[in-house]
Amino acid sequence: MTWTIARKEMASNLTSYKFVIVLLLTVLLTATSFFIMHRDFRQRTADFQITRPKPGEPIALLPPNPMAVFAKGLDDAMTRSFEIGVVGITVRAGQSSGNIIYSFFPSPDFLYVVRVVLSLVALLFGFDQVSRERERGTLQLILGSPISRARVLFGKWLGNFLSLSVPFLLTTLLGIAFLLFDPNVRFSTGQLGRLTLILGLSLLYLSFFLILGILISTLTRRSASSIVVLLFIWTLLVFIIPNLGTLLARQFVSVPSVRALSEKRQQTWTREVLLGTKSRDWASHYKAISDDNDRMEEDYRGKFERLVRLSRDINRVSPAAGFLDAASEIAGTGIGEESRLKREVIRYKNSIIGDIIANRATSNKNEEYPAFRYVPRSLAEIFAQGALFDTAWLVFFNIICFALAYWAFARYDVR
Amino acid sequence: MLRTLIAKDIRNNVLSFRFLVSFLLLFAVITATVLLLAGDYLKKQDEYARRQIEIERYMKSYAHFNRIGNILRPTQPPIPFQSLVRGLTSEVNIEEFDNDPLPVMFPLIDLTFIVAVLMSLIALIFSYDAVCGEKEDGTLKLMLSNGVSRSKIILAKIAGGVITLFWPFVLSLAAGMITILLHPRVAWTSLDWGALGLIIAGSIVYVTVFSLIGVLVSSIHRSSASSIMTSLFVWVLLVLVVPNLSPYLASIIKPAPSRIKIARETHRIQDVERDELGMKMAAEKRRELAVRYPVLAENLSEADKKLRLARDPVYREAYQAAAAEIERVWAEANRIQSEKAEVLEGDLRRREEAQIALSIRISMLSPLASFTYLSTDLSSTGVRNLAHFRALSATWDRAFYQDYRPKKIEALRSQDPSLDVWNTPVDMSDAPRFRYAEEGLKGRIRSTLPSFAVLLASGLILFAAAFVAFIRYDVR
Repeated sequence: MTWTIARKEMASNLTSYKFVIVLLLTVLLTATSFFIMHRDFRQRTADFQITRPKPGEPIALLPPNPMAVFAKGLDDAMTRSFEIGVVGITVRAGQSSGNIIYSFFPSPDFLYVVRVVLSLVALLFGFDQVSRERERGTLQLILGSPISRARVLFGKWLGNFLSLSVPFLLTTLLGIAFLLFDPNVRFSTGQLGRLTLILGLSLLYLSFFLILGILISTLTRRSASSIVVLLFIWTLLVFIIPNLGTLLARQFVSVPSVRALSEKRQQTWTREVLLGTKSRDWASHYKAISDDNDRMEEDYRGKFERLVRLSRDINRVSPAAGFLDAASEIAGTGIGEESRLKREVIRYKNSIIGDIIANRATSNKNEEYPAFRYVPRSLAEIFAQGALFDTAWLVFFNIICFALAYWAFARYDVR
Repeated sequence: MLRTLIAKDIRNNVLSFRFLVSFLLLFAVITATVLLLAGDYLKKQDEYARRQIEIERYMKSYAHFNRIGNILRPTQPPIPFQSLVRGLTSEVNIEEFDNDPLPVMFPLIDLTFIVAVLMSLIALIFSYDAVCGEKEDGTLKLMLSNGVSRSKIILAKIAGGVITLFWPFVLSLAAGMITILLHPRVAWTSLDWGALGLIIAGSIVYVTVFSLIGVLVSSIHRSSASSIMTSLFVWVLLVLVVPNLSPYLASIIKPAPSRIKIARETHRIQDVERDELGMKMAAEKRRELAVRYPVLAENLSEADKKLRLARDPVYREAYQAAAAEIERVWAEANRIQSEKAEVLEGDLRRREEAQIALSIRISMLSPLASFTYLSTDLSSTGVRNLAHFRALSATWDRAFYQDYRPKKIEALRSQDPSLDVWNTPVDMSDAPRFRYAEEGLKGRIRSTLPSFAVLLASGLILFAAAFVAFIRYDVR
């Protein structure tokens, strides 16, 4: 019986104007996003070929992550060239794009499409599920047959979820197939597994918004008011809470700004070099610079990680933020991965800085250093460090909304 | 009659459920945002003051000319408007190791964002059923049977919608501004208030554009259920898609070479290629010099050379002339290669500028982008301010490196000719310091004229379209 309801939902969706619009949005956006982000990835790969360090150079540089096509996240920051010298780690300038307009608007990757646009689409599927049937009088007819309200609700969810996820999955799979044809984009089997996880997470996320829509439509008598409430909840969850949350976290954790750190560093090294030109004891001055920088870095990393933790905890009120965090961590472009990469770069620097200083002090030009190796976190680590919580949180949101929807629907006056 | 109609529409809107919800939401979001942004601005201000003290402390004991450029760098201080509009001021700073990744993942929310996303959505929510809703209720027929002209009805719809949207926005903003006014350390100047006034004017035009889109869509559709779908579709495209795609599209149509590639190229030209060219030219020159100064043809060891330089004036003269020639040859090689590099860099700059201009043009298909440029430029947090800042930096650069430094060095040398002026701590308390001042309002307004014009023009076109659609609307 549930299946009959689901089929009825799908059939009525298929013929509706709403479905045409939604289908258009999904297909258009997913395809454009794949195309554009793929191009972006190829360009960055070409840049990587140019900057790739020669053997023996003390440079830490990662190739662009193909998963960035789906979740761009912090991949730009992670694929910078970190060069180790006597004064510590410097970033080679010129790796950012010259087009300032990029920094005005977020990049339209797959995650953006799902998180912002498709969540709205899921709401549009759910917003009039109960109120419209009541307005038309068909709800009375359905409930007139011997079927429980729970089954009706579940059938509605299933039918709409399928009519939403089938076109979504189809276009996404087509997009992935398109990527697989490009020899430059090489996914490992592990990454394909991660992609499946991201898709699963996306479905869970979309399902949440669908149920939320059904829930609000059972709480309001008219579909016109249901859509108003839903649109506002949507802006709150998708935009306002995550973006205000980080701002709120900054009020509680004071983190020195990037500028302050860089000024401090400049002061340290110019001071030590000035003193060095007098004493000629370069090794000890280089050491002083490196120690000072290390102290500052240690302090900053600690504070920054506290800020990230706090803002994550605040943002988790919104499933959109949790979804973004979990999916980008799984893709390997999230904040956690970026912090870890930086820690690894610092460790790499610590392992060779002694040699660099010694070679510099004796003007040895033919030094060679071990290459930088970075192994991204395994899925188990990623899940242990928050993604599992985020996923469970999404499941919880789904269940709680479903329970509330059931509770509201059971008490619903169908007249 | 028009007034009655407008009053009816306003009353209708104000008493509706959606008005209550949107007012509450706007009020909460705007006041929370202003409070948080003001707090953040104060933190930034404190930090800036601390940074200045650090610099002063350094300058007292260690200021030396060789590396002064690393210490005295022009920096943008926090400006009071940052308690409302953030624009491009968030510190992502990908050029530093400790860049800040949070704003990349979660862009900060500010007044621009609230108006651009929230207000446009509210405008659509108010107007998506302006015509078809009345048709469904049957009131449109009643109105038209009363001898009211259609143009009056549509005008009243638009005016009523915009006026109802205006008050919740302005009241919420006023509540937020009270926190700014009450705070003694957020010192807004009359310039800032003027800019805010213009931003509010821009917001009204922006919101009107979305109201018009709603009215237009609603007078095309027969039912409000399909009207809301189309409205949201248009909204998603204009607000969430077009602006984000624009720089990528522009980079496809007008590609610019990657900066890394050009940097490598110019480095090669000015390093390896320069050396090759210099060697070649110097060798030729040497052959020429050997003919001109036969005394130099002899192959002498370094010690003999020194000896002869000291004793033989003819040899010394020839040697010095030759050295000067060779130096000139190298300078020439340097010049040729820098010119080549300059051509590449100039080409990169031109292409990047063309790409930026195209991105801006594409993005302005969306009113959101026009409004974003308008509000960031007016509040000195946008592209315009970047250029202004660069100009100020250049002026300071000249004042410091071309006026102050040579004079100071000369003065130091006259006191002690043997002094290593580059690597000795020098008292630079009399040096010109970089002072940031916001650009005058006139320049800022001039830069926002295109955005205003685009918004107004799209408003007019939409109005005409809505008018025509409503005239042809079947009210049955």
